[in-house]
Amino acid sequence: MVNNGFAQRGTVNIEIARKAFSGSKGTLLALKDIVLTINPGEFVCIVGGSGCGKTTLLRIIAGLETEYEGAVFLDGKKLIGTGLDRGVVFQEHRLLSWLTVHDNVAFGLAGLPPQERSRKERSRDIRHYINLVGLDRFEYEYPHQLSGGMSQRVAVARALVGRPEVLLLDEPFASLDALTRMRMQQEILRIWEAERTTVVLVTHDIEEAVYLADRVVIMSPQPGTIRNILPVRLLRPRDRTDREFVRIRKSIHDELFAPRGMTHLAADSF
Amino acid sequence: MSTAEQNRRLVRKGSTAELTAKAPKNIGRIHIPDRLLGWIIPVSVLLVWQLLARLGVLPANWLPAPTIVGQTIYQLTVAGDLLKHVGITIARVGVGFLLGASAGTLFGGLTGYLPVARKLLDPTLQALRSVPSIAWVPLFLLWLGIGETSKITLIALGAFFPVYLNLSLAMRHVDPKLLEVGKLYRLSSFQMVRRLILPAALPEYIVGLRSGLGLAWMFVVAAELLGASSGIGYLMVDGEMTGRAGVILASVILFAICGKTTDWMMNAAGRRLLGHRAR
Ligand SMILES: Nc1ncnc2c1ncn2[C@@H]1O[C@H](COP(=O)(O)OP(=O)(O)OP(=O)(O)O)[C@@H](O)[C@H]1O
Ligand SMILES: [Mg+2]
Repeated sequence: MVNNGFAQRGTVNIEIARKAFSGSKGTLLALKDIVLTINPGEFVCIVGGSGCGKTTLLRIIAGLETEYEGAVFLDGKKLIGTGLDRGVVFQEHRLLSWLTVHDNVAFGLAGLPPQERSRKERSRDIRHYINLVGLDRFEYEYPHQLSGGMSQRVAVARALVGRPEVLLLDEPFASLDALTRMRMQQEILRIWEAERTTVVLVTHDIEEAVYLADRVVIMSPQPGTIRNILPVRLLRPRDRTDREFVRIRKSIHDELFAPRGMTHLAADSF
Repeated sequence: MSTAEQNRRLVRKGSTAELTAKAPKNIGRIHIPDRLLGWIIPVSVLLVWQLLARLGVLPANWLPAPTIVGQTIYQLTVAGDLLKHVGITIARVGVGFLLGASAGTLFGGLTGYLPVARKLLDPTLQALRSVPSIAWVPLFLLWLGIGETSKITLIALGAFFPVYLNLSLAMRHVDPKLLEVGKLYRLSSFQMVRRLILPAALPEYIVGLRSGLGLAWMFVVAAELLGASSGIGYLMVDGEMTGRAGVILASVILFAICGKTTDWMMNAAGRRLLGHRAR
C-alpha cells in the first residue's frame, strides 16, 4: 500500500475512568469507564438519550474539557488541551458574524504557526475546503446571509482546513429541517470519503447513526457509560428502507429503550 | 434582552427613535411620509412661537421670535467672533474627548481582558464614577486654574466613563462559545484579543464612544458656564449678563447643531467600522 504509514493516522484511544461535574447540588458523575478505540478513517456515531454524556465525551476528545480521570490518545500520543489535529463542529455553527465565509474558514488556520504552511498553500487549502462543502459561490457572503445548512457547511470547512486527523461533530444537523439534514448526511459522507479522516459524530437520531456509521456506540445515562457498540456492515450509499438497515435501527432503538436491569443481566452473562 | 444586545441593536438602528418611526403612519386619511412625521411638532412649535412673538404675547427680551434668533446668529457670525467661539468649543470637546476616550479605551481594555486588572481598578473607578462629575469642578479649578487644562480635564472625565464601562463590559461578555472556537484553533492570547474579543466587543465600544461624546458636549457647557472668556458657553453667559435672550437662544441652538453633527459623524464612522453588521 502506498499510504501505509499515513493510513495509521487518526487512531483514537479513549480511556476515561471518571468525569464528574461539581455543581450546587453536589457532584454529578457524567462519564464512567469509557473505553473505546476508534480506528483510523473510521466513522463512529455516538447515540444516547439526553444527558448521557455524549457532548462531554466529545469535548474531552476535543480537549475542551481537561479535568477528568483517564486519558485520550491520538496515534498513541496523549492529548493535552485542544489541537489542530482535531476539528470540531458544534450543534450551533459558531461562525464569527464579522467575517465572510472565506475568512471564517481561514480562521481555522489562525493558530497554525506561520512556517507550517505557506501563504499560497493556505489560500489554496481555504479555497479547496470551501469548494468541498459546495460554497464556492458564497465565499464573500457573511454568516447572516446564509441558511442553517450553509452555515454548518462553513463550520465543517473551518474544522477541516487545518487538515485534522479526527473530525468531531456534536449533533451538527440537529437544528436543520429534515430534508436539509438528509442532504447534509450525504454531504458529510462524501467529504469523509474524500478526506478519509476519522469521524466521531454525536447524534440523537438513530437513523442518522445507522445511515452514517461504521460502528454505532450506544450510551446510557447516570452515569454515562457505553452500553453497547454495534457495527453497521452495510454498503454505502445505504438505503434507509433496506431490511437490514431497519433491523439495525430497531435493535439500537430497543437497546436504548430497554429497561436497565436487562442489559445488566446481558452484560453479566458475557 | 441583555444590555449588550440592546447596545448592539442601538448601533444597528442608529437610535431607538428611528425604530419606532419606521412603520408607515396613517393619520386620518392623509398619508404622511415617515421622514416628515418627526418634523410636525418642531415646525408647529416654531410657527406658534413666531406668531406669538409677532403678536407681542411673548416679550421680546424674554423669548424673541425665531427670526430674531436667526438674525442674532447671522450678526454674530458677521461680527466675526461667533466662528471663533464655536471653533474653540469644538477644539475643547475634541481634545477632551480624545483624551478621555483614549484613557477609557486603555482602562476598559485592560480591565476587560485581565481579571486581575479589573479587581484592582474597577472598585476605585466605580467609586469615582459615583461622584457627580460636576462636583469635581471646584477642585479642578483649584488645582489646575481657570485655564484650558481644567476644562479639558473635566470634558475628558465625562468622556472617560462610558467608554471605559462599555468596553470593559463588552470584552468580558464575549460569548464563551466563540472563545471556545478560538481555543480550538489554538489562537495565542494576542490573537484571541485581536481576532475574537475586540471585534466581538466593537458594537458596544462604539456605543460607549457615542455616549462619551455626548457627555463631552454636556461637560463643555458646564466648563464654559463656570468660567471662560471664549466658547459658546461664554457667549451664553455674556448673553445672560447683558440681558440678550437672543444670544442665549442662539448659543443653545449652536450647541444642539454641533452636538448633533459630531454624533452623526461618530455614528457614520461607527457604521463604517462595523461594516455589514451595521445593517
Ligand atoms: N459544564 C457542566 N457543568 C455541570 N454539569 C454539566 C456540564 N456539562 C454537562 N453537565 C452534565 O453532565 C451530564 C452530561 O451532559 P452532556 O451535555 O454531555 O449530555 P448529552 O448526552 O450531550 O446530552 P444532550 O443529548 O442533551 O446534548 C448532564 O447531566 C449534564 O447536566
Ligand atoms: Mg449534547
